[in-house]
Amino acid sequence: MVLKAKKWLSGFLAATMIIVLLAACGKGNSNNDSSPSASPAASPSGSASAAPSDSSAPAKLEGNLVVWTYFDQVKILAESFMAKNPGVKVDVQIFPGDQYETKLMTALQTGQNAPDIVDLDRGYIGKFLESPYLADLSAMGGDDVVKDHIPYVKEYGKSADGKLRAISDNSSPGGFWYVRESAKKWLGTDDPDQISAMVDSWDKIVDLGKKVAKDSGGKVHLIQSAGGLFDIMAYNTQPWVQDGKLVIDPKWKETYETQLKIRNEGVDAKLGFMSSGWGSALNNGDVVLTSMPSWATFMIDNKDGKAKGKFGVAKTPEGWFIGGRYEGIYEKSKNKELAFEFLKYVASPEWQLENLQKTGNMPSNALVFDQNQDSFKMDMLGDQLILKAYADQMKSLPGVKADKYNEGVLSKWGKVAGEGINNNTPYDKVVQAFKKEVKNTYPEIKVE
Amino acid sequence: MKSKVNKSAYGYLFISPFFIAYALFGLVPILYTLYLSLTKWDGFSDPVYVGLANYERLVHDSFFWQTISNTLIIWIMSIVPQLILALLLALILHEKFVKGKHFFRAVYYFPNLISTVTLGVIFSLMFDWQTGSINKLLINIGLIQDPINWFNSPWWTRAIIASITMWQYFGFNLIVFVAGLQSISSEVFEAAEVDGATKTQMVFKITLPLLRPVFVFTFITSVIGGLQLFEGPLVIGNGGDGPGNSARTMILYLYETSFKAFDYSYGAAIAYGVFIVIMIFTAITARAYRLKD
Amino acid sequence: MKGNIFVRTICYLFLIAVAITCLLPFYSMIITSTHNNTDIAQKLLLAPGDQLAANYERLMHSVNIWRGLWNTAFVTVAATALNVYASAMVGYGFSKYNFRFKNVLFIGLLATMMIPGQLGIIGFYKLMESFHMLNTYWPLILPSISSAFGVFMIRQFVDSSVPTEILESGRVDGYGEVQIFHRIILPLMTPVLATYAIFSFIGKWNDFLTPMIILFDNNKQTLPVMIASLRSAFVSDFGAQYVGLVVSVVPILVFFSAMSKRIISGVSAGAVKG
Repeated sequence: MVLKAKKWLSGFLAATMIIVLLAACGKGNSNNDSSPSASPAASPSGSASAAPSDSSAPAKLEGNLVVWTYFDQVKILAESFMAKNPGVKVDVQIFPGDQYETKLMTALQTGQNAPDIVDLDRGYIGKFLESPYLADLSAMGGDDVVKDHIPYVKEYGKSADGKLRAISDNSSPGGFWYVRESAKKWLGTDDPDQISAMVDSWDKIVDLGKKVAKDSGGKVHLIQSAGGLFDIMAYNTQPWVQDGKLVIDPKWKETYETQLKIRNEGVDAKLGFMSSGWGSALNNGDVVLTSMPSWATFMIDNKDGKAKGKFGVAKTPEGWFIGGRYEGIYEKSKNKELAFEFLKYVASPEWQLENLQKTGNMPSNALVFDQNQDSFKMDMLGDQLILKAYADQMKSLPGVKADKYNEGVLSKWGKVAGEGINNNTPYDKVVQAFKKEVKNTYPEIKVE
Repeated sequence: MKSKVNKSAYGYLFISPFFIAYALFGLVPILYTLYLSLTKWDGFSDPVYVGLANYERLVHDSFFWQTISNTLIIWIMSIVPQLILALLLALILHEKFVKGKHFFRAVYYFPNLISTVTLGVIFSLMFDWQTGSINKLLINIGLIQDPINWFNSPWWTRAIIASITMWQYFGFNLIVFVAGLQSISSEVFEAAEVDGATKTQMVFKITLPLLRPVFVFTFITSVIGGLQLFEGPLVIGNGGDGPGNSARTMILYLYETSFKAFDYSYGAAIAYGVFIVIMIFTAITARAYRLKD
Repeated sequence: MKGNIFVRTICYLFLIAVAITCLLPFYSMIITSTHNNTDIAQKLLLAPGDQLAANYERLMHSVNIWRGLWNTAFVTVAATALNVYASAMVGYGFSKYNFRFKNVLFIGLLATMMIPGQLGIIGFYKLMESFHMLNTYWPLILPSISSAFGVFMIRQFVDSSVPTEILESGRVDGYGEVQIFHRIILPLMTPVLATYAIFSFIGKWNDFLTPMIILFDNNKQTLPVMIASLRSAFVSDFGAQYVGLVVSVVPILVFFSAMSKRIISGVSAGAVKG
């Protein structure tokens, strides 16, 4: 028996070795065969032929494009583009959220197997804009393509020298989403305008929140988490780093004190953004108002249309937006013209309207707002004219350029102040810990 | 007795695969890291040589020192109960009367089959403040009134991370201990029984001393492995650092610096710092064992 | 004798209690995968639900988990086979031959264990690029030739359980050194190789960072990376996530259960004698 086992194992080992080596070689070869199609650089047809057959029809495009993204819905974009341009094959590669940035950096540094088009999140786009990796879209006529885009979206895709380097098809405005039934029960109305008026200042939110908590016996909360204020205030405060120095906007002190009040008075449900509890409270109305961006609607359970007319959106005390996916062209891509055609499509009202209808992502092109704001309705929002609700707020937000530090420093603040809220720490101590964190991660920033 | 024929050329032949493969796939990247640690590089522009500046920063970096103590604390919190549990179970399973030994050993090894990332996700869901099943359970049986914010407490966070590691590896140590026990000749025990030794006496006078080499093996591998703890704290604890950075381990700090802040050159210096720390502790452990001889 | 029964009962209870804590998370994972998202977030789930098919459908709509399973199985088996074979050779070489710098080389080998794996990832990527091995399985398979832990473990076994006389008799019979290794030593090592194969297999099976960095094509990707991508694609869809976890864990569990008798008795044959 023992002997048998031994024979079996050594036989097995030998067999697997052979199989493995053969198979691995086979893999290697087949990969070499397929690599030209994976890297469009090598394919001769990989450029846009700009010879229109008819003056009214768009140019016939041909070739292959590789897009790297972290967002599932980019598939919809690629399919839509391919449906319009049957000659083009867009290969969308999706990588897990947290590791995407690492992956992108490693690939761009070496230039090997790098994609033609890269998706960049607001959270880290700043570093990439100033890098040598993104093609100058202004030189290709990009400024004209985004001329109708909302200022803050447009500005964020520009590098410090004012050149356009990335384009976004979404504006990610944030608002208070609410389940109508729950709002009626706890706030007495489900009308967006009335609710907006009820919560147009943080003091009002605290007072209203206390009332909701009391009426419900502590079971229902007005907002999800005090932490939500970080995101809202982030776009209503000065940049964190100015002239190489750390600047803490005095508004943060006010905000922090409001956050403490929210936590201590039981106004929030203490549910972290995008956590499982957050998702279920959003859907069942245990939290009356959920501050979230338009792209977060995929968190709403709309199976078999059960969210139809269920929700409304009210304004937050201050306008804001969060996240936002930008697309840029890799500088060394051999396929820049075709990639630019793709970006043009990304920027177009045509796609953005389709995207709005299919996914609820708010457009970045102001024309889409202008043309559809009196007619566009979202299934889950019933009769609310959602574009109209967002339009003014969106157009008036100032255009700010991305910078290398802002998002990173903000997340440090979120981390330290978030802990402070949990522990009821005095503001001065929070600032102290925050400065230490910043100093440590970015030794080149001057911290006083 | 060492009657080894002098066939040293074959010795080199047999050990060559390791060194060739390591030189190729391990050493080259590591030397590249060493070079990076002497530069300033953000991943975008070309690296600039800065000498030992990164190491100077490392020595004065209080966060780095904190990660060393965090790692040690979490490691001790997991290794002590882990070894005791493994040893206890191994001793019980070594008893003749126990039925289903095979089943128990297999089941105890199950947790080792799952990746730490998966375990981390399961544990962080279980211990979630507002929605976790642990809090629901405790409230249901009336032990607590309000849910406990586990990950807001440095000690709970560390304990949860330590318990993941413990849960994951006690089965591994158990198997090693069982093997060690079985290698002790049964004649030794029979002789002791004849001499009228009690069970307890046998455990302390015979079993444990004879298991010493096995202990050395598990301890040294667990020092090396435990000090490289990374995935657990990455998944657990908000953003991975825990309250007041209390759950940030050395490798996690390395990871965050290199791949979150993209300060590759400083990350490289941290990596070498970690290497030195691990070497020191391994040497101390090995020393401690030798001294007892 | 009564006291004896009492002690035995305590022992059994203890064994069973620990066994339950080992199985509970698996049970909970499988149960959870059969419920819808609202219930997963809100309830303590103990009994199976009826949402498995729906969760599975949403999962498959986004990632081809079976493809990932196959990819991982391929890479893992290949890497494990290479790793075990090479470690056996090296461990044997260190144990049974005398040569200059042997101790220095062995200490050097052990020292490689102390180097954090994340240390060289950027250099590794650049190296693989120059070898034109990006987006292939080679970088996932070849480096597993060198495993210090495997060598350490196998050397310990050979030192204590393979008598040197066997080599001598092999030589007398006219075998060459390489033949001796393959014909005589390798079969003798079976128990420790089986044990080590499992350790190596599990380590590889769960490998995450390297495939994540090296592979580009989604249909070449391995299971752990797919599971991680589920987390971003289904931020709130815990049902689909759990089905993915089940698919990734259950095969290895079944495999281990089927093999465990051989493996564990392999260790019992005296893998670690120190």
